[in-house]
Amino acid sequence: MQMSRALAGAAVVLALLFGGWFTLRSDPDNTLTITFQARSGRDTLVFDEFVYANPGGDGEYRLRDFRFYLSNVHLIGDSKTFAEPDSYHLIRFDNSDRAHSLKFAGLPLRSVEKVRFMLGLDAEANSSIEFRGDLDPNSQMAWNWEVGYKFLVFEGGLLSDGEVVPLVYHVGFTENSRMLEFSIPEGLVLQDDAELRFDVDVAKLFDGQTIIDMAATQSVKFDREDAKMLADNYANMIEVAF
Amino acid sequence: MFRALIPLALAAALSLAGWIGWGALRSPNATPIVGFSAPFVFGRFAVPTDNPLTEEAFLLGRRLFYDPILSGANQTACATCHFQRLAFTDGQARSPSLSGGELPFSAMSLTNLMWGQERFFWNGRAETLEQQAVMPIVHPDEMAQAMDELIEELRGSRTYRKMFRASYGEISADNVGKALATFMRLLISADSKYDSYLRGDTRLTAEEEYGRKLFMAHPDTKVSLRGGNCIDCHSQFLTSGFRGELDGFSNNGLDPEETLPDGLMEVTGNPAHRGFFKVPTLRNIAVTAPYMHDGRFQTLEEVMQHYNNGIAVSDTLSPLILEADNAYGRAEDIVGLRLSENEMDAIIAFLHTLTDETFLTNQRFADPFKGER
Repeated sequence: MQMSRALAGAAVVLALLFGGWFTLRSDPDNTLTITFQARSGRDTLVFDEFVYANPGGDGEYRLRDFRFYLSNVHLIGDSKTFAEPDSYHLIRFDNSDRAHSLKFAGLPLRSVEKVRFMLGLDAEANSSIEFRGDLDPNSQMAWNWEVGYKFLVFEGGLLSDGEVVPLVYHVGFTENSRMLEFSIPEGLVLQDDAELRFDVDVAKLFDGQTIIDMAATQSVKFDREDAKMLADNYANMIEVAF
Repeated sequence: MFRALIPLALAAALSLAGWIGWGALRSPNATPIVGFSAPFVFGRFAVPTDNPLTEEAFLLGRRLFYDPILSGANQTACATCHFQRLAFTDGQARSPSLSGGELPFSAMSLTNLMWGQERFFWNGRAETLEQQAVMPIVHPDEMAQAMDELIEELRGSRTYRKMFRASYGEISADNVGKALATFMRLLISADSKYDSYLRGDTRLTAEEEYGRKLFMAHPDTKVSLRGGNCIDCHSQFLTSGFRGELDGFSNNGLDPEETLPDGLMEVTGNPAHRGFFKVPTLRNIAVTAPYMHDGRFQTLEEVMQHYNNGIAVSDTLSPLILEADNAYGRAEDIVGLRLSENEMDAIIAFLHTLTDETFLTNQRFADPFKGER
């Protein structure tokens, strides 16, 4: 009798252990790639050529640099939210695909129904000189440690009447970060090589809520109204690609 | 039965001892360097996993660096063109070439190489420091050494046999590059007045602080912000070029379109990189004259004059330089910062706070043969 009680106790403990193991094991360990494709309108972005029309005036422009900070990525699915730790990504397109991918591994989600992220940086990160994610106070994106980071950089030139004038658009300041949320209709099941693609339309930066004449506004740096104008435009430059 | 086993056991013991001994010979038990320090604000760095920092490799690298045995005629060492007192530059616009005349580029300062760009030489032609280290050795105009001859010479030296055995195991071209790279990686300058200021231990003078503010600012007349625009290429703490991709290379307006040299384009083949050169660290800049990739400017005043009103326009000139102007309205024939004399003096005063006497005189980086001779 004693013996069988002991056995029953052991069986219960074992069952609990197994149960716990199965519960842990059943937490999925999925991966997801999120790819941002740089475009101007519908076409893949081209650098270093005067092929884009000034949206608000005369002339054609070229880009030599386009990049931005994307932070605080949240993936939502299965009624759960995954918040990526140290979620600070510098999205740049100086590669042959004109695309930038973020990879997420070990996700505790089976599917993704919503994606949320910030264009720019949160106030805490923007006033810190800590090295987290892609934050680097010795990088091109740092203005200096008293001002914080540039959130978005666009540099190039405008060709008008045979003359090239420089274009410098640096947008920063914490008030210009924009939280964006995207719903994925029917959700994306995280199996095999799940990938979510976004289009980033550079043209929207100058052709949105405000249509900008680059000849009149050749640079935006520390003027807060100008910076806000560009931020309101870039809030609409990213879309889910289907 | 047991007797039969004894020779087997002996054989096993012998082969085990042999294996351990051979292993010890082949992979030296070098002492990892864990004690070096660098300011937190320098940020991330990477050391190749196949060339960890060890004390033995550092000592070997230092000896090789100062030893003319590395050159074909046994007369030129790395240190011939890189003097510690001048932050490992040579004070020449361009170093002399073995075949007469001058090399195309000025000898670069060797400081804080674990940070900043991960490409080396003015045009970025070396992708690792290990690769960089052996290129001047075999270059016909620099040290003109045949690598296999160098290996033979090193094998003939009892000291080098011992040092290579202790650090890498064998004497090889790869290990020469690795040892030199280790020595150069540990040339860390982090004790200037600016570092002391960053640690909160020292205050800058009013002029230095004014210069620091100008250094860190891109001018914006729309909000009445004046700036020297240095930070658009030289990072705020390291003062070197940026690390990511090719961010640390730029065309800073030295030459017009017609005479613009290839620069980084020679390496990438991309016409958008024509006239781009590696942005150097400004650490110890006050002792590394003359300036620029070809040493064309003798003084920091000349450098400031260049950025102030001497910019030559070309197609790949940085728009950040073309656009940075402290005066209202475009000038007819001047491209530059248009700062006042006082403002330029202040920036130069700040640049002098980057001189690190500890680094320039640190015996650990000095010629090891001096004590032997």
